Amino acid sequence: MTDRRPKIVGFCCEKHGADAAVLAARSGKHIDASVRLVQVPCTGRIDGIHLLSALEEGADAVFVLGCLEKNCYYDTGSIEGRKRVGYVKQVLAEAGIEKERVEMFNAASTNAWAFPEAAAKMVEVAKRLGPIGGGEK
Amino acid sequence: MKAMVQVVLCRCCIEVSKLLDMERLQKVASESNNVVSTVAVDAVCDGRNLAPVMAEAKLKEVDRAVVLACHKKDISPAVVKAYRRAGVNEYLVEFVNIREEVVLPHMGDHESAQKKAETKLRAAISRAVLLSPLEKLTEQMATRNVVIIGAGVAGQAAASEAARTGAHTILLEKTGRSLKAPGVILPHSQVVGAKGYGGNFTLRIRAGEKSEDLGAAAVVVATGGGWTSLRGPLAKAVKDAMPLYRFYEVLLSGSPPNGPVVIVDTPDPVGKTVRVQDYAWDETLETVIELKKKHPDTLVTVVFQEMRAFGLSELAYKEAADIGVRFVRYDRNGSPKVDPKQPNTLTVKDLSLGEVLSIRFGTLVFASIPPNEDNKLLADALRISMTADGGTRRGSIQRWPVTTPKPGVFVCGSALFPKSKAEAKVEGQAAGAMAGAFVMRGVVEYGGVVAEVTQDKCSACLTCVRTCPYEAPFIGTASKAEIRIQACQGCGMCVGICPSKAIELRNYTDEQIMTETRTLLGGDF
Repeated sequence: MTDRRPKIVGFCCEKHGADAAVLAARSGKHIDASVRLVQVPCTGRIDGIHLLSALEEGADAVFVLGCLEKNCYYDTGSIEGRKRVGYVKQVLAEAGIEKERVEMFNAASTNAWAFPEAAAKMVEVAKRLGPIGGGEK
Repeated sequence: MKAMVQVVLCRCCIEVSKLLDMERLQKVASESNNVVSTVAVDAVCDGRNLAPVMAEAKLKEVDRAVVLACHKKDISPAVVKAYRRAGVNEYLVEFVNIREEVVLPHMGDHESAQKKAETKLRAAISRAVLLSPLEKLTEQMATRNVVIIGAGVAGQAAASEAARTGAHTILLEKTGRSLKAPGVILPHSQVVGAKGYGGNFTLRIRAGEKSEDLGAAAVVVATGGGWTSLRGPLAKAVKDAMPLYRFYEVLLSGSPPNGPVVIVDTPDPVGKTVRVQDYAWDETLETVIELKKKHPDTLVTVVFQEMRAFGLSELAYKEAADIGVRFVRYDRNGSPKVDPKQPNTLTVKDLSLGEVLSIRFGTLVFASIPPNEDNKLLADALRISMTADGGTRRGSIQRWPVTTPKPGVFVCGSALFPKSKAEAKVEGQAAGAMAGAFVMRGVVEYGGVVAEVTQDKCSACLTCVRTCPYEAPFIGTASKAEIRIQACQGCGMCVGICPSKAIELRNYTDEQIMTETRTLLGGDF
């Protein structure tokens, strides 16, 4: 169980989130290879079902990376995204799954540290909690 | 019809091919039965390399493409243009950032990087197959009007710059003062409501007693700063305080100041209503130096909370201190007070001395001005958002310093937060030039990635109407939601929030996003 690599899915917005990830790579930051990025136009586009289905398909942790709330490209998009993540956390708690597996982060496109930090945090969470349901899969 | 996909692998200046096995990637690509052609090029950003790719695309009659290269924003304009010429719809070109998402962050880990790249390629192909072709449409702007709200320093600068591009400028001034600026000036007028989208606004204007509608292609918010008199306890004790700009005018007219001069930073230093954001330092220092030079015997004290003398203002600060201007710094706990029984003495706790000082004054001047209270009304009318301090919010401080998140609405000067005259003028010029350029395009481009309502599923709950920051969704004649696609910016907020799942964002449907996620999770790395 210990040598199994966790699977992390990151939903990032095309505006600041993706730029922060690109800047992180260009400034020589290394991230865990298990992070899979999916781009959406805005974190407000994220629906609970995207996060839940990612967990269902085998992800150990899911995170959402959006713009800073006061500097969002689409005005209120990242606030909406945070609401969806909160909703999914609630659903997970009701289903008896650790709600730390889903997390929302904010970054400006100039924050090179934000994406590696978010990825590292989720990898840490996934390693600590192990696979969903104790690893019978 | 079967999708015909072309896969373009960019070696990205050798970095990619150093870490990844390009032949294995090509093999993975050709495994998919939708892929009809795979090409590897040295650098897709070099236009010369694109010609053979496009020749191949035409030959194999591909209708969509997956490009594995670097950041989408860097390469997409050239690649998309080339594909458009080859007859491929621009929304069917899918980009995978293999360089920054795989190669650079996983430099030492050859095996994982290879697997990750293969999985990303598979995911991109699975997504590309599901994409649908979209078109961009255009609409003529009804007017060439740039409406500038507020005819202060920033507003006048915006007007002259917008007029230079050839746009019609209309200035709305709240007061009746006479001013010179190119364009139509409407005195005693205010915006009370607005409809429409960038390019075709209809503003509801109250001019004097009358209300009327005014067509506008772009709006520049230049409402400037707010109060021109003291507020709070100071206002009760001191009757004849004046703002800095008026004091400067008096100074220029040549009349000597009435007794010692005290300049405080904000009109309400005691109250918590205003955070001192930007003391108008350049102006303050300029004024005190001028004052000391003209009337060297006058005692001048500057009372401030925060020091922001940027760049060369630092020299002016030093000069002012050298010629005998006193600077007193305070904080919230010891903010300046005036006892109504002694209306000519200001008491303030000096932060550096730690003592309470009593300063006698004949003239009290305040420098910084808070944001305009009209900003709230304007924000409600135009549906733009505000900062916590009561200013108008700009799009992004790095990329769009004089635009609001709403297309076609620009903002400049102290409407954002208090700032100096020179800065307000420069911002006004920038906003005016941008508004002018926006208007002179003459057409509104819309469409592409926009939201779409399946009306059978809609229950007209108004959630989308309330959520959209651009006023794109509305309840149409059929009592179902509709999207005004000219206003839609393609963020998909209404799509995510719709409880009936009646709205879809073109090319970012649930199916497309979830298929991509599923394929990405399929690989083990």
